[in-house]
Amino acid sequence: MIALPRPSTLFLAAVTALVAVLLYSPLFVPIVSSFFTISHGDVDWSSPTLSSYQALAGNNDILAALRTTLIVGLCTVVLSVVSGTLLALYYHGGRSGRSILQFIIFLPFLMPPIISGLALLIFFREIGLERSLLTVVIGHTVFVLAIVYRTVLMRLQSMSRTLVEASYDLGATAWQTFWRVILPNLSSAMVGGAILAFALSFDETMITILVTGTQSTLPVRLWAMMRLGFSPDINALVALILMFTVLLCVLAARFLVPQQMAMERS
Amino acid sequence: MNQNTDLLTLRGVSKSYGMVSVLHDVDLSIQDGEFLTVLGPSGSGKTTVLRLIGGLEPLTAGEIRLDGQDISRMPINRRPFNTVFQDYALFPHMTVSGNVGYGLSVRHVQRKEVARRVAEALELVQLGRFADRFPAQLSGGQRQRVALARALICQPRLILLDEPLAALDLELRRQMQEFLKSIQREIKTTFLFVTHDQEEAIGMADRICVMQAGHICQLGTPHELYYKPNCEFVARFFGENNLVAGKLGAVEGEQRPIETALGRLICSVSDQPLLKAAPDGASAFAVFRPEALRVAGSTESDNHFSGTIADLAFAGSSTVATITVGTDNAAQRLRLRVPSRIDGSALKCGETVSLSFAPHEGHLVLA
Amino acid sequence: MSLLAAVLAFALPVVFVVVPLALFLVYSFFSVDQGTIVYAPTLGNYVRFVTDSIFVPVFWNTIVLCVSVAIICILIAYPAAYLLTTLKGRWRYALLMLLLVPLLMSYVIKIYAIRSILGLNGFLNKALVALGILQQPSTLFVFNMNAILLTLSVLLIPFAILPIFLSLERIPQTLLRASDDLGASGLQTFLRVTLPLSLPGVVSAASFVFVLAIGDFLTPQMVGGVSGFTFGRILYSQFGTAYNWPFGAALSVALAVVVICAILIGERFGRNRGTSV
Repeated sequence: MIALPRPSTLFLAAVTALVAVLLYSPLFVPIVSSFFTISHGDVDWSSPTLSSYQALAGNNDILAALRTTLIVGLCTVVLSVVSGTLLALYYHGGRSGRSILQFIIFLPFLMPPIISGLALLIFFREIGLERSLLTVVIGHTVFVLAIVYRTVLMRLQSMSRTLVEASYDLGATAWQTFWRVILPNLSSAMVGGAILAFALSFDETMITILVTGTQSTLPVRLWAMMRLGFSPDINALVALILMFTVLLCVLAARFLVPQQMAMERS
Repeated sequence: MNQNTDLLTLRGVSKSYGMVSVLHDVDLSIQDGEFLTVLGPSGSGKTTVLRLIGGLEPLTAGEIRLDGQDISRMPINRRPFNTVFQDYALFPHMTVSGNVGYGLSVRHVQRKEVARRVAEALELVQLGRFADRFPAQLSGGQRQRVALARALICQPRLILLDEPLAALDLELRRQMQEFLKSIQREIKTTFLFVTHDQEEAIGMADRICVMQAGHICQLGTPHELYYKPNCEFVARFFGENNLVAGKLGAVEGEQRPIETALGRLICSVSDQPLLKAAPDGASAFAVFRPEALRVAGSTESDNHFSGTIADLAFAGSSTVATITVGTDNAAQRLRLRVPSRIDGSALKCGETVSLSFAPHEGHLVLA
Repeated sequence: MSLLAAVLAFALPVVFVVVPLALFLVYSFFSVDQGTIVYAPTLGNYVRFVTDSIFVPVFWNTIVLCVSVAIICILIAYPAAYLLTTLKGRWRYALLMLLLVPLLMSYVIKIYAIRSILGLNGFLNKALVALGILQQPSTLFVFNMNAILLTLSVLLIPFAILPIFLSLERIPQTLLRASDDLGASGLQTFLRVTLPLSLPGVVSAASFVFVLAIGDFLTPQMVGGVSGFTFGRILYSQFGTAYNWPFGAALSVALAVVVICAILIGERFGRNRGTSV
């Protein structure tokens, strides 16, 4: 892009700054509140405190929800990475019906979550499956499958076909080729997809509200508490989650950059 | 070469993708220990030949025999051949030694033995110091040599090379050509080398197989192909031959005249039964190389004509003159190559020169 | 062997995606009688949706609301995306990351935080009073349609930045040089070269934001109050308080139709033509 005259540059910078403020102030509020007391919208800057973090450690309700979220997240990751990878391999193998299959995989991701969630709700009711963590995991897996599938498929498509041919040419069996050539080349994409899947599952609210049983995940628990307003320990939790999410972002970015590029840089 | 030591024979091999036929009824014998180059323009089917032999694709018809045994249906991973791919196809997640040792370790060769032979192979391609690097950390020429070491470590009967030098720059390509040739001499393994570069083919091959549009045009030594092309395609493909169209006259011993726009030209037909047998009046081309043309003051020779120098191009050791012979519609452009001289060319643009070539340096191909 | 592979590949997606959605569609043709579902096909739900005086206006208002959200997002995101493309190398991607990272932050928390900013005691009111624009804190920004509009816009801006940035980045520099070279001013180059070439990105961004906005239930529910009634909330209430699943399914089908149209428009006009490198 060519350099613009100065007034327009200033305008662009001002709008971008506004965007940054808009995007970050909602994140800033709970973090500030976790260290300072707020009454009637006024922050008491004078006395930073970790008391909300201490309160969090004693809030069993929230901690149980957090544990549930992690369990759901891990199950979702395992299921979606395994099935997403297999489906990507199926598509890449040029098998029959692959474009229809791809369309089906993308559907729950394209549809508003309220529709996917309600459809699953009716489905579980009709097949007589009690709403539980199992139904939540199914809902999350269906929802995040498209992301894992897409990530792995893109890596597969960027992989040179001759790698597989070379492996066979050197005497490897199909099994050896899969384990020693294809899978290692997909692994970083699979890890990247897993991190994205976990992040999406961790934050998924709509589908979970509809298909969960008695146990709540963290977003659902927060959702239920929100009408009353949050206690300070929730702010502490939010601050921690934000830091954790940033960490996940950094990790995902690292794994999604192809290995080769990373090596060339070193 | 001894005809009894055929390593591999292709008989009636055809390949088509759906309705598109890319290889028609190809017969080819590869002799044990030779460096055979398959040469052709893109789309000639040369890479397909290599992929069929390697087992990367199934045959549509015909058979491939190794030591007389039909291997047409043998799966790729059981064939005793290894391939050097055009893009090298090095495994990016393995080190150089991991790549080179792959063929042994998938066959469950003992770890110690693998290490020993990897070191040996890397020594052979002069990459001993790079064993622990990843492919991404190597230059193009080094990757090329890793791919070669990986292909030869299993001691295949035949190494298939698919335009392996295409991605390298000119200087490196020259070095790699010599390197490949010396390796081949050292390990005495048969090389089947595919390229579209005729200079590369001439420089490296024991024999060259020229392909065009899914057929083999000619198979022979570089010398044969250069001086005795058997068809118009080969004659035009190698260097900057002069081709002059005409009608054949009656055979005169080992020579045969051809009536052309330049007059009656006499060319050699020794060892060319096809051209000896061709009927009088058949369409053909007289073929002679630019360096075979002589600038003559007198008219002693048979094949004599005169023309005007249209252009002079200095090309280092030699100078190439473009000469127009005849006028208007019948005008024929010929190329003449003479050694360059420090005091400038004796030839001048626009000058009329009288030219000739000796009958034994003239050659005929059927149109 | 390949049939087995196909069956295995299709099993999971068909059972957990196609069957539920198909079932959902079928449900929209059922009805409810005194709290139990009547499994007899009827068009009653669709007739009710079209003829009742509540649903179509709410549906239409929601569409207008979400189009507005898309427009606001694009107006704000375009300059930011443009600024990104004027930056060099690593700064460009660092800033892009910075603008995209909030996407991964908890959605519920962001809604809550925005609501507290917009509220009577929130930072927005305080700032406006401090600047003298307002005499006293106003309830204009919370628990109504404005609140939904503002909250959704803030939440969805990153989804508008990315496609616009990608389409701007894809414009070959040589085209801009050529325009300069032919004597166009910076503004002329922008209006006659850059803007038209980036329109596909703008269309994708609009379709993206619209689809996410219209499918959202959480935001209107949380910041909309009594007056900010959107289609998503009506739809949800059919599965809660109203307990009329078949009618809710019919409303969902209407929503899905609008979403599919928006996606198709985004696909059709959002493709870069001619400028692909």
